[in-house]
Amino acid sequence: MSTPTLQPEVRAEVTTTNRPPRPPSPRRRKRPNRLPYALIAPALVVMVLIHVLPAIGGLVLSFKKFNIFTFRELFGAPWNGLENYRSILLDTDNPLHSGFWGAVVNTVQYTFWTVSGTLVLGLAVALLLNRKMRGQRVARTLMLVPWIVPSYVVAVLWSFMWQSDVGIINKVLVDYTHLLGHRPIWLLGPNTMWAIVIPSIWRGMPLAILIFLAGLAAQPQELHEAAAIDGAGPWRRFRFITLPLLRPLIGVQLLFGVIYAAYQYAIPTVMFGSNPGPDADLMMTFIVRQSFSNSLYGLGAAASTMLMLAMLAWVAVWYRAFRRDLEVT
Amino acid sequence: MTAITLSPRARKRIVARGLDALTWLVLALMLAPVFWLVASSLQNDGQLARGSYDLLHPTFQAFRDMWKTIDFERYLINSAIICTVAALLATAFASTAGYALARFRFRGAKPFGLAVIGTQLIPGSMFLLPVFIGFLWLKQHVGITLFDTRLGMILVYTAFFTPVAIYFMRSFFQAIPRDLEEAAQVDGCTQFSAFVRIILPSAAPGLVATFVYAFLFAWDELLFVAALTEHNAETLPLGIRLFIGNYSQYYGQLMAAGVISTIPVVVAFFAAQRWLVRGITAGAVKG
Repeated sequence: MSTPTLQPEVRAEVTTTNRPPRPPSPRRRKRPNRLPYALIAPALVVMVLIHVLPAIGGLVLSFKKFNIFTFRELFGAPWNGLENYRSILLDTDNPLHSGFWGAVVNTVQYTFWTVSGTLVLGLAVALLLNRKMRGQRVARTLMLVPWIVPSYVVAVLWSFMWQSDVGIINKVLVDYTHLLGHRPIWLLGPNTMWAIVIPSIWRGMPLAILIFLAGLAAQPQELHEAAAIDGAGPWRRFRFITLPLLRPLIGVQLLFGVIYAAYQYAIPTVMFGSNPGPDADLMMTFIVRQSFSNSLYGLGAAASTMLMLAMLAWVAVWYRAFRRDLEVT
Repeated sequence: MTAITLSPRARKRIVARGLDALTWLVLALMLAPVFWLVASSLQNDGQLARGSYDLLHPTFQAFRDMWKTIDFERYLINSAIICTVAALLATAFASTAGYALARFRFRGAKPFGLAVIGTQLIPGSMFLLPVFIGFLWLKQHVGITLFDTRLGMILVYTAFFTPVAIYFMRSFFQAIPRDLEEAAQVDGCTQFSAFVRIILPSAAPGLVATFVYAFLFAWDELLFVAALTEHNAETLPLGIRLFIGNYSQYYGQLMAAGVISTIPVVVAFFAAQRWLVRGITAGAVKG
């Protein structure tokens, strides 16, 4: 402030408080621009109508005694406080209680195996495809095909391949290669989890490969070359250069992969029907079955709300871990 | 023994060829289920039930039978109409909203952007029933029938896939240099006409990619269409599910239905593949 060069500015600030503000620069004079609001309006309207309002409705229903008897009253159904939540979480007399925890455990397992399998295998294949080789373009394109096959076709196709006696998977594993001495039963019992995890990984991998390939292509080649000259072997270069540089991409895929897997519905339900059994019943199949087949709408809404809260918690955890990888957009 | 005597260069070449072979092996494994889908659809049901394949003598019998067994045409036409219109609308809404997010700084831009991502956090099961109730309410009070109509499903799918489409379009708009609009505005265009006449055409690849992306996802949707339709607006996944429920032993026909359900999305994907890949990777790399 003692420097003379700053004086005029200080004086100008003082004077503006008494006088009417000087005419702003032409850039500033523009009225608040309405155009962006008009541009987002259509998207905003459909999102409010089909996402926001119904989600609030779902939240309200989770506090209501809403079942086949009260269905005619719709949102006028009697309030039920936290009873829906309590009975699902704690009430051992409620048949849904154990089913709920079973579905929680299955969903955690399904999500863990599907997401980690997709990312690890996807990265491995991306590294293979990142090498220079003849026919690289063809291989990269064809590798995407599983991702385009609709989930319900994936489920139908794999349930056919999983057949114990005539299915191609057991034929390959037992009859052709003799890797296994007995024919595993895939579509019943504990193996049903693998019966839905493996097709999910198969369908999800191409997207992971695509994203990792883009990330690998963006890595500065000089870094790898310099490290190689310094004597770093392939594994050390992967561990200390490739992997850290891919971290943001791993983060994005983890975030959406977990949400997508936790909300998986089509594959188990097409493969096993509305009740996939105790080893493959996921949160979504459980909730949809209780809501629609058994008309326990209020309980279903409460379970949905808890599922969403779990995902919000996941986003919070994710944000803490990957905050520094977020690019400012 | 020989490996030890090989020169480092020769060893390197062997490793490289080995990794090439591994790549092709992985590709073969990834494509094997798709091959199996097609191969099985070209066999007759008797062969499939016994597990005895005759790959050299394919037959289209399963396709012909399948068309008679269930009303497949209805499902296919419904899927085509609903998914095409919904993807078009989602792309249109997303192109304006994505442009607003890419180019304008306005109050509420950040909350809007967060809300767009936030919609992806809502499990379908949470807002399915309220949407259903909303449909009932509209019918009773306004007289608009949305339950079991294509219009209803189009509305739902448009809303579903608009948020992802917005992020897609935004990344395409961000890649277009700003000078383009500024030049147009110097020439007397308003902001909006610059968007429509200059920016949209140069974002055409992005529009195609967004449309195909939304189309792929709409084609895959099962939960809402199962609850919000009962006959007239049923789509392919319901046809397939009905098939499994009632004719599960006809595996040839089931696989044929799977092939027919997959062909449209494969065609759409490969038609737009170059731009689609750019859109997906740009979205992921930029976050």
